[in-house]
Amino acid sequence: MKTSFRIAVTIAVILAAAIQAAAQLPKDPEERAKAIAQIMQTNARQISLFDREGKEVGQVGPKDLYQQPVFSPDAKRIAVIKSDVDKESNDLWVMDLATGKMTRVSVSGERENAASPAWSPDGSRVAYVGLRQGAYGLYQKLSSGEGAEELLYKSNAPLVLTDWSMDGRYLTFYSTDLGGGAIYALPLAGSGERKPIEIFRSKFQLTGPRLSPDARFVAYVSNETGRTELYIRPFSPEPAPGAASSKGPWKLSEEGSMGMAFWRRDGKEITYLAPNRSIVSVSLSTAPDFEFEKPKVLFSMPETTPLAPNMASVNRDASRYVIAVPPPQLRQITLLDREGKAVGTVGQPGRFGAIRFSPDGKRLLVMKIDPQTGDNNIWVMDIATGKATAITKETLPINSPVWSRDGKQIAYVLVKDSYSSVYRKSADGTGEAELLFRYTPGAGVGLTDWSPDSRFLTFSTGVLLMVPVQSSEKPLDRKALEWLREDYDAFDGRFSPDGRLMAYLSNEADVATPQVYVRPFDSSKPASPAGPAIQITSLKGGANWLTWRQDGKELYFVTRDGQVMAADFTSSPKLQSGAPKLLFKVADPLAGVADVGPDGERFVAAMPAK
Amino acid sequence: MKLRTIFLAAAAFLFAAPVWAHHNMSAIYDFNDKITMSGTLSKMDWRNPHIELIVETKNGGTEVQTWSLEGPSPSFFRSRDINKADVEAAIGKPVTAEASRARDGSRSGLLRTMTLPGGKVISACPQNC
Repeated sequence: MKTSFRIAVTIAVILAAAIQAAAQLPKDPEERAKAIAQIMQTNARQISLFDREGKEVGQVGPKDLYQQPVFSPDAKRIAVIKSDVDKESNDLWVMDLATGKMTRVSVSGERENAASPAWSPDGSRVAYVGLRQGAYGLYQKLSSGEGAEELLYKSNAPLVLTDWSMDGRYLTFYSTDLGGGAIYALPLAGSGERKPIEIFRSKFQLTGPRLSPDARFVAYVSNETGRTELYIRPFSPEPAPGAASSKGPWKLSEEGSMGMAFWRRDGKEITYLAPNRSIVSVSLSTAPDFEFEKPKVLFSMPETTPLAPNMASVNRDASRYVIAVPPPQLRQITLLDREGKAVGTVGQPGRFGAIRFSPDGKRLLVMKIDPQTGDNNIWVMDIATGKATAITKETLPINSPVWSRDGKQIAYVLVKDSYSSVYRKSADGTGEAELLFRYTPGAGVGLTDWSPDSRFLTFSTGVLLMVPVQSSEKPLDRKALEWLREDYDAFDGRFSPDGRLMAYLSNEADVATPQVYVRPFDSSKPASPAGPAIQITSLKGGANWLTWRQDGKELYFVTRDGQVMAADFTSSPKLQSGAPKLLFKVADPLAGVADVGPDGERFVAAMPAK
Repeated sequence: MKLRTIFLAAAAFLFAAPVWAHHNMSAIYDFNDKITMSGTLSKMDWRNPHIELIVETKNGGTEVQTWSLEGPSPSFFRSRDINKADVEAAIGKPVTAEASRARDGSRSGLLRTMTLPGGKVISACPQNC
């Protein structure tokens, strides 16, 4: 994962966790329970402790939906955020490392949240961001869980708390979005309304401010170079009259830094997480002047254990590391027959996404995360030989590659600054990328298909959109056409092989359970459907993705719990589908069937690597 | 599509499944510039990617001001048991709304809450708060 993407994802994750925008769990109790069980199986993390050499020295408590584990100042407890999927809320818990006993600290209501904990220097209290009745605030509560929570600062905008300064005087937090960001310190002394000090504002994204133990410097992460890096600059909340201008900032990291950095109690070392899953240390001094040495890697986690910035932290002595370890992440691309039996593998295990058969069924289009750099790029793999060809070599975020119907080109989305732009490139990796379209600033694009006549790319914002990529306009002047804009969501559009129909998922019938629909598509009138929809599925738990067989006579889709299903389809004399039938079920909850070959006889899945 | 599977799982985990957006809300609206208005709900567009509600206010005098308030997607409200008909029934009637004002100073805002004539509150929080 690219660092800029990572920062965006981090922000999105933190905000999404706090925002809880739209619950999509089924209301049906049985389906809801199944969905929750699946979420637990695929996302539950183990709180694990590591020493300075990277050796695991213990696991604490059962696996659960943890994030943001933070050591208490004496390193005997951990504050951690735990999700309650059924209530759609997150709460702050304190975990005793010796006994594993969990104490609930915050009590959020349905669709409320607690996030980003920070300990008071004496460990008696924990501060956190609370989402209460639609408003964000910084709260504190006794770490024993007793008493009521106290509002310290109310904010109209989302914010992320990062630390309680070691001198006890400040809470540090940041607020950032695709338009830039700012880092703040909230003075805790005094009475009356508290006003945060804006330490630094930038057109770039800023995260993770933490004050040095003497509160003279602030460490933070910025993407001003195009990659997220660790910086330190002086912190002078009340500069003396006539004081000389401050020096700095200083860039400490050399190969990227994620999330936030952790000062050692004596202020002589700072530790951060690098994109290649390494824990990195920098020796430094803050008095009389700021000086620092080159970063050195303390240890690296294996590729099977990717580290996310909000899933790890360091104790005040920099001797223990806590990581919320996710389920195994390595996958083996595996070919399955129509009964779900493995009939072959392609390439070596890795971290893959967006796997798609080429139209001739001989190659696979995949996105693969580089284990060293974290960059996510597009590759084409030859199924017979396993040979992989890099299509992109980007350090910027890219996503959602799709084949042209002749298999000669690949379209994909590249995110730069706040724009999602669509490019196309030759499927043999040669030549330059050609810009086709740029979307509204700040809005994401996820391509789902390219029309057989190559005239339209499709994606969704809830509205199903068509991008006329062969229109006479210049790429920057092209506008996405609203093919299906209703009061329900329509997404994952897939053109039929003859280009005369569009299959898609929609929550028209029930908001929480998307079903498969098909409508006529007329390429001469791409701004609206050419006829009414027919509903293909009425699955209790809804459908995930869908695709067509190359002859257009069968549709495939996957249920929420991993059942791969098919339905016969005919468009003549009228649109009509047969009853969906189960082909097979993937038993391993960590496995995912990704696509169907053109003849409907082979499937490709990302299976957990042995 | 595995990525999609992972994303969907993650999204479900984070309770943030489809949050459709076709622009950057915080770039357009100032979350720290909260406005409250009372007026008449005159129009609505209850479609993706986000709803739009038009409120006519009198700003303490006789001059009618027309405010356009952008909300989340219809699915956001459907999942909270608020339907198009609930809001449609309020057209032509008095409402009170809270919004984050547009940074360009125009009479538009990002809807936070709206109180309908019967006292029912439709909240766009936490997405828009």
